[in-house]
Parts: sequence; C-alpha cells; structure tokens
Amino acid sequence: MSYAYLFKYIIIGDTGVGKSCLLLQFTDKRFQPVHDLTIGVEFGARMITIDNKPIKLQIWDTAGQESFRSITRSYYRGAAGALLVYDITRRETFNHLASWLEDARQHANANMTIMLIGNKCDLAHRRAVSTEEGEQFAKEHGLIFMEASAKTAQNVEEAFISTAATIYKKIQDGVFDVSNESYGIKVGYGGIPGPSGGRDGSASQAGGCCS
Amino acid sequence: MDFKLGRINLNAVAQGVGGLVFGNENSSSNEDSYVERLLDRISNGVLAEDRRAAITQLQAVVAESRSAQLAFGAMGFPVLMGVLKEERDDVEMVRGALETLVSALTPTDVARGPKNEVQPTLMNSDLLSREADSISLLLSLLEEDDFYVRYYTLQLLTALLTHSPNRLQEAILTTPRGITRLMDMLMDREVIRNEALLLLTYLTREAVEIQKIVVFEGAFEKIFSIIKEEGGSEGGVVVQDCLELLNNLLRRSASNQILLRETMGFEHLLSILKLRGSAYNFTQQKTVNLLGSLETVELLLTGGLDAEPGRDSNRQSNQTVLAQKNALDHLLMLGVESPWAAVSVRCAALRCVGALVANHSQNLDALASKMLGEEPHVEPALNSILRIILRTSSVQEFSAADFIFKCFCENNPKGQAILASTIIPQAHSGAHDPLDEDIKIPFGSMLLRGLTSSESDEDLETCCRASSVLSHILKGNIHCKERVMQVKLEAPMTSFGTPEPLIHRVVKYLAVAASMKDKNGNHKTSTSSGFMYIQPIILRLLVTWLADFPDAVHSFLDSRDHLTYLLELVSNSSGTVFTRGLSAILLGECVLYNKSDDRGRDAFMVVDAISQKIGLTSYFLKFDDMQKSFPFLSAKASQQRKPLARSSAASMSEIEDVEENNVSNLKHDEDPVLMSVFDAPFVNLVKRLESEIRESIVDVYSHPKSKVAVVPVEMEQKNGESNEDYIKRLKSFVEKQCKEVQDLLGRNATLAEDVARTGGVGVSGSDQANGGRDRVQVETLRRELQETKQRVEVLKSEKAKLEDEASMYRNLAGKMESDLKSLSDAYNSLEQVNFQLETEVKALREGKGGPFVDVKAIKEEGREEAQKESEAELNDLLVCLGQEQTKVEKLSSRLAELGEDVDSLLEGIGDDLGLAEDSGDDEEE
Repeated sequence: MSYAYLFKYIIIGDTGVGKSCLLLQFTDKRFQPVHDLTIGVEFGARMITIDNKPIKLQIWDTAGQESFRSITRSYYRGAAGALLVYDITRRETFNHLASWLEDARQHANANMTIMLIGNKCDLAHRRAVSTEEGEQFAKEHGLIFMEASAKTAQNVEEAFISTAATIYKKIQDGVFDVSNESYGIKVGYGGIPGPSGGRDGSASQAGGCCS
Repeated sequence: MDFKLGRINLNAVAQGVGGLVFGNENSSSNEDSYVERLLDRISNGVLAEDRRAAITQLQAVVAESRSAQLAFGAMGFPVLMGVLKEERDDVEMVRGALETLVSALTPTDVARGPKNEVQPTLMNSDLLSREADSISLLLSLLEEDDFYVRYYTLQLLTALLTHSPNRLQEAILTTPRGITRLMDMLMDREVIRNEALLLLTYLTREAVEIQKIVVFEGAFEKIFSIIKEEGGSEGGVVVQDCLELLNNLLRRSASNQILLRETMGFEHLLSILKLRGSAYNFTQQKTVNLLGSLETVELLLTGGLDAEPGRDSNRQSNQTVLAQKNALDHLLMLGVESPWAAVSVRCAALRCVGALVANHSQNLDALASKMLGEEPHVEPALNSILRIILRTSSVQEFSAADFIFKCFCENNPKGQAILASTIIPQAHSGAHDPLDEDIKIPFGSMLLRGLTSSESDEDLETCCRASSVLSHILKGNIHCKERVMQVKLEAPMTSFGTPEPLIHRVVKYLAVAASMKDKNGNHKTSTSSGFMYIQPIILRLLVTWLADFPDAVHSFLDSRDHLTYLLELVSNSSGTVFTRGLSAILLGECVLYNKSDDRGRDAFMVVDAISQKIGLTSYFLKFDDMQKSFPFLSAKASQQRKPLARSSAASMSEIEDVEENNVSNLKHDEDPVLMSVFDAPFVNLVKRLESEIRESIVDVYSHPKSKVAVVPVEMEQKNGESNEDYIKRLKSFVEKQCKEVQDLLGRNATLAEDVARTGGVGVSGSDQANGGRDRVQVETLRRELQETKQRVEVLKSEKAKLEDEASMYRNLAGKMESDLKSLSDAYNSLEQVNFQLETEVKALREGKGGPFVDVKAIKEEGREEAQKESEAELNDLLVCLGQEQTKVEKLSSRLAELGEDVDSLLEGIGDDLGLAEDSGDDEEE
C-alpha cells in the first residue's frame, strides 16, 4: 500500500475511442470487446515503479459523450496527467482533438502532462489517420505521442508509464509544489518525499495558486 | 420624477395584493416603504458611509420581519447581486449584502405564519436560485480572502440547498471548479470547514456525479484527517458529520469503495472503532459516532448497489482487507466485550461480524478459531456470542447475534460440522443454574442446555433462541442432521427411564408454546410480544430438520400424538398465518420424505389424515396464505433500517426516535425477528418444499398401493387342495379385497366431500387432486380480485377527493386572479384619472394668461353675434324706411297735385328723421 508518490490521471477523448478498454487493459490486463458506455466517470488504480520508486496511479476514465462534458470538466484541474485518446480508424475523432485540447488547457493546471494516444493500431487495414499526422499534431501542441492497442496491449503499459516518468521528471526538476495536492500529485505515507530543493523552489514559483 | 411616481404606485399595488394574499399586517406598508427606501439608498447613494449604514439596517429589518423579507424579495435581489458583482473591493458592502441575503432566506423566529401562507424564505430562495449565474457568482465568492464573505456565502448556499436542491446541484456541477472550491473549504478555518462539511453532506445525499467529484478531489483524506483532528469517536458532532459524508460517498458506489480501499485503506476507519481511554464512558455523541462508523463498515461489507457489476468481487475484497486490518477483533470488542456500550452499537457491531464472515472461507475460519477473554477465562468467540443469544434481554441483540450464526453456517458445512460435533448431552448437574458456570463447557452443551433449561420456568424464550441457532447448524447439512438425531435427552422425570430423542422434546416445546399463548392471550405481559416468533422459530427448526431427511420424519412420526397435534396446529384458527403455513409444510414433509413401509406411519396414512381432518383444499390454502405474506415481510425488512442522518435542527432527538420506533415495531405483527426467521434461503426452501409436497400428494392419490397382491396363479385351485379349502381361501381373499374396496370408497368419499365443500362440480377421480388445486387457485384469485376491487374503490374515492380539492384550489386561484385583475384594473383606471388630472394641472400651471384669451374670444363671439343681430335689425329698418319713403313720395306727389308746398311741409320732418337715424347709430355702437 505504501508508495512514494500518487499521480492522478484522467483519460479523455471522443466516445468509442477505447478509453475504458485502455484502462481495463492497464489495470486488469484483459480486453473486453463489448464495453458499456461509461456514465460520468469511472475509476481504476495500479502500482508502477519508476526509478525504483513505487508510484501509485489513480486513473479516472471519463465519458466521451458530449452530454457529460460539463461533469468531466470538473476532473481536469486535479489531474497530473491526461491521456488524450483518438481512434486511428475514425478520422473525426482525430479532428476533434483540438477542441479536447482547448478544454484541457482551459480547465486543467498548466503543468498537466498530456499524452496523445492513437488507439486501435491493431486495425491497420482500416487506418484513417496516419502515424505521421498524429506525430505532427503532438509536436505542434507539445504532447507526447504513441500509437497503442487496448486489444493487443501493444504500448498500453508504455503509455501510462512514460506519462508517469514525465511527471516524475517534472517533480525532480521542481516544476511542481508537491505539497499542494491540487496538482494531482501526492507524496506517499511510506515513500520517500521528493527532493527538498524542488519543494522549496516550486513554492515560490507556484506562489499565487496556493491560497 | 416619473420613475419615482411609478415606483410608489407599484408598491401600493404590491401592498394591496400582499394584504389580500398574506393577510393584513398593519406594519407591512411601513416596512415595504422602509425596505424600499433603504434599497434606494444602497443603489443610488453617493456617500459610502450612508450606503453601508443602509445595508446594515436592511439586514436588520429583513432578519426580523416576514413582510420585510417579502418586500425584499420583490425588489431587492437585483440591487444586492449588483453589489456582489461590481463592488467586490468593498468588503464591508459585500459582507452586508451576503448577510442580508442569508437573512432573507432564513425563517424569522418570531411569529411563524400559518401554514397556508406563502413562506417568504421559500419564495426568496426560489428567486435567487432561478438564476444559474447567481450561484456561480456565489461560488466565486468562496475565493475571497475575507473570512465573513466565505462564511456567509457557505451559509447562503446551504440555505439554497435545503430549499432548491436540484437547481443548486445542477448549477454547481456546471460551474467549472465548483466542487473544487467547496472542497477547498474543508481545509479552511474551523467554522468554515464545519459549514462546508454540512453543505457537502447535503450535496452528496443523492447526486452520484457530485459524489464522484468529491472523491476525486480527495474527500477521503480530508474526512479522515478531520476525524483524527477531532479525536475520533470521542469527537463531537463534526465527527458525526464527517461520517455521514463518508457514508454518502460509499453507500451507492462500488467504485468509490474501491478507491478508498486502494488509496487510503481501511486502517483509518477501523481506528475510529478502536476504543481508547475510558472504555466505560459512552456519551451519546460517542454512541452516534460509533454507529456512523459501523454503518461505514456495513456499507463496505454490502459492496455497493444490488445492480452494480462487480459488487460481489468488491465485497469479497472488502471482507479480505477489513479482516487483514483486524476488523474482527475491533468488532467483537464492541459487540461482545463492551457491555457498557449502547445496545444499538453492540447490535450494529454484531451484524458487521456476520457480514464480515458471510461466504468468505478465510474469515469463517478466523471466526471459528477466535478466542475471547483473558487467561484463564478464555473461550471461543462463538460461545460468547451464543451466550448473548441465550441471555440477552434485548430482542434486537438476539436478532443481531443470531445473524452471525446464520452467516457462519451458510455455505459452510465444515463450520456446521464443528458446531454440531460438540452437541453431546452433559449429565444434569442438578440444582446449579447451568448458565452460570458455562465458561468451560463446549458450544454444543451450552446450546443443549439452552434448549432444555427453560421448561422449568415456563419461559420458552431461551429455548426458542437456541432452536434458531440449531436450525442454522442443521440447514442443508445431512451429516449434522444425523448427528443431532442421535442426541437423546434424559427424561425430565427420571422415573420413566427411557431417554427421549431431542426432536421429540422440540415438538413438545412447540405444544407448550401454543398452550402458553392461549393462557397469555388475554393479558399482554412484557414477554408476550415474543410469542409472535416463538412458534415460527421452533417450526423453522423442525422444517429444516425434516427436509431431505427421512430418518427425522420417521422419528417424528414415532409418536402418534405428534401427527394429531400437528393437524390441530394447521387448522387452528387462533394461530398466525405463519404458524399454520409452517405446520402445513411440516406435515407435507411427513408425506414427501416418508420412506416408511410401516402401515401406522406411512405416507398414505398421513395423506389420509390430512384429507380427513383438514381437507386437502383448505390444507393447500394454508400455503397460499403464507406465500402471500412473504412479500410484506421482505418489503418491511428493506425499509427497516434507514441511514442515520442529521438535519441541521434535530440531531440527537432523531436518533432517540429511531430507537423508539424499533421498540414500537416489536409490538407490530411483522416484528423484526419474524423477518429474520423468513430470510431468503428459508423462504426458498419453503417454496421448493411446497411445490414438491403438492406433487407428492397427488402422486399418493393417483397410485394407491394395493394391500392385496393379486396373483392369477393363486386364483386357481391348487393341486390336492380340497374344494372347501379352496373356497375358504378365495373367500378370505375376497374379504381382503372387499375391505380394501371399502377403504378406497371411504377415501373417495372424503375427497368427494372435500370437493363438495369447495363447491366444485363432479370431477373424475383421477384428476381430483388437480381439480382441487385449480379450485384453490380460483378461490385465491377470486379473493385477490375482491381485494383489488376494494383497493381500486378506495383509490377511486381518493382520486375523486383529490380532484375536488384540485378544482377547489383552481377556483380559488381563479378568484385570486380575478381579484388581482380587478385590482389592477382599478389601478389602471386610477392611473388614467390621475394622468388626466395631472395634465390638467400641468396645463393650468403652464398658462397664466389663459383667461384673457378666453375673454377676448368670448367678446369676439359676442360682438359677432351682436353684429349679426344689429345687421338684421338694420335691414328691417331699411325695409321700413323704404316703405316710409314710398309712402312719403306718394303723399308728397298727392300733396303736390293738391298744390301744397311739400318741401316746406317736410322741413321739420327731416330733422326728426335725422334724430331717428342718430339713435339707430347709437344702437349700433
């Protein structure tokens, strides 16, 4: 149960792109071809190790449907990482990325790490968005990018873990004030607290946010 | 000027309407104009000091009087919302505005109006919450630095939430970071934290999405840190609020339960249950806090909503993790080893123990091997729990402890066997009270003593409770049934010598219970409520025991009296539906599981006895009657315990009420113990038995066993047999057959009678049983139809009444409307008149020279008229003159003829004429 850090993630993106399946693959290592529509928000958790430190991921899987947008927005601010998912076989899910990103930028904290995931890469024969396009979009907006498949589990671990590694690096660099939980990062009970220099340095940086 | 004028008039109308609708309040008009003047000073004032004074005065008057609240509602919101929106920098104004709004939404203490009046506070909160903008404005105020601004804002939100919960929930959900801001308040100063806690508790009662966001924002960490800060179970009402919020978050959501388990674990929760310091000191608040945290444990052990997927696996994980954190120890400490704790706490802890072990093999083993007490007085926990069952004076506690055995024995044959293996009769220790020195005796012996001890003092309560435990041990477990079958008791009067099987003793108690009920029927003693469940519990033991177990049936029918008594019990009209129904099931088991060939006690004999003494139709009816009562029981059970909730007004009194309700429930027909008797597995068993019994009885009738074997060879005369012998043999054969025919005829007659009694027409013999069953169904249906009809009647009349009321109110509303209309008409006409008068006055004021103009005009007119008149006269005169002229001319010519000097004659006249002409001129002038 003890961990060095706890990171909160959210998974966002259009309905039907496979957000819940990515989560299920990551937490339970299984794939469910038919998945109920997510209502509101669902939750999953898993422990990973980065730099020999146990890190707990608390993942909030949001409903992609438009009608839930106002509810899911409430989850942006408290998240340290976001997986922004599209479906490589459905062009429109890629076209909507900009609006998702805008939402995230508006409601999340500025330091949130965003990972762009092109899901369903096992369905190469039905591909509608090329890998290059995905890479290009990620580059333009400063996101990490990966193509993955919840069905074959390809790159699923990597996506969650490399997001965590990026956040971890940001902590080491003192970007976050880890004592302020509103960034979606918590120092664990049994773990080793982050470098003290990072904490002090960031307190002055973050200044106005912690009232 | 015009604006002012309009406002005053509007007020007058509002007052008029107010007077009409809300009754006359003399002061209302004064207060209206006072409120109005204050609002005017706030919105139009120039001096900051004056505006602040005005808002303070406004708050004071709104806090005190209903009519001021009403007046404020009619015109104040835009003004004050404007202050909140545009004058954020003026902390004093913002504070004042918020405080005034709080007052406008808080009912005045003095003189609460009659119920039918419109509550101004309700109206005001409706007005305020109607604008989604105003709620997000309020939420943004939570970020202000000023303490009072945040405090009043929270109070205002709470007030809004109690009146218009749905709107507020929606508005908060759609406001970005709305919940986040509220959650931040939990880390604020104490007063604000407590206020926010209450608000969040209200918000999370129903709204699932809010529950999730609250959890996402780290509610669990915050809740437990507050509880710890406040001293755990020793803490005050804040701890209670925290636990209520916690339970709201966990009640309907498996995923929130998973989150709690995965991130924080259950240690913090269980540490609340740990008794520290003075264990003897249980204040009322501590009791409430413990009950709250026990509810949390129970919620975790329920696993979430019925329909939720993954509920079972979640429940199992919760069971495992709770047990890992020593939940069993804490719960047993509270439930078994804390005699100073309130009964409700002990019961809740016991129920949690049951839920903790149910269907969880590890936890079952843990409970089985658990020892309690300190050396040298150590004993198995199950023994201690059994002792509670046998000894407690509280029916609730018996029920809760019994629940542990129910959970322990369900799907746990190993556990059942362990318990059953100790059931060995101990030598009677004579005069000692056996319960007092039982610390060292094995479980089974204690149970047996419980079963047998009570007959001396004619109180079957203990015996009945022991029966309940025994039935859990026997449930569905043949080995245990066999084992307990072997148990023989020494006869109470040792002179008879032969040991008595336990099952016979149990039947005897059943009879004693019935006779005691008859005796106590008239005067209701304190224990008489218990008779509601004593018979059903003993019957449940017998039904469980005999199920699938012919040996028990055999032993039961050993004594002819048993059957007779059972038949009596089925047809006894003074018993309850459940007593009759369960006796009927028991009787049916004597048919269904009867493997006996012995003529005295085989299935045919039992069926015959049923059809002779009761009649098959009415026998089957007993099943239906009981079946119909099951749904009532289960419905009641689900209603029974409501979550503890604190409304801001009543906290302690409510909890006391809950306990009182439980007590009063005991006197009710469907008491809680009865509900636990008919738990789901037992009801299923009864249902299964019922249909099998029906089939087997039909079977008995359709295949009557012939007593005389007809072998064709034997009909022939044997070799060497004399005719006489042959005839004798045939004769005896015929005699036997004749007897059997008689028997069958007799049985047929009873069936026919039965049929006749139920009013059926002749049905052929083979499907008589079926026909009977149909008739039973028909009868039940008919009865149901009648009941439904009655219910429909009642509903109809209710509907009519409601419709009447509705139309009355509609009329009333119409009248009000027309009143209002006439008032406004009156107002309109008044205004018109006023307007006219006003223009006139204006006109009057404008033109001071007005009269002269008029005079001139009149003069002109007069002159014109005079001119016209004089002209006409002049004409007349001229005509006259002309005539005179001609006359003069004629006369002068005649005079000239006559030789007169006309000129000289006329000289004088010319002067006269001239005079006449002058006077005419005068007139003209």
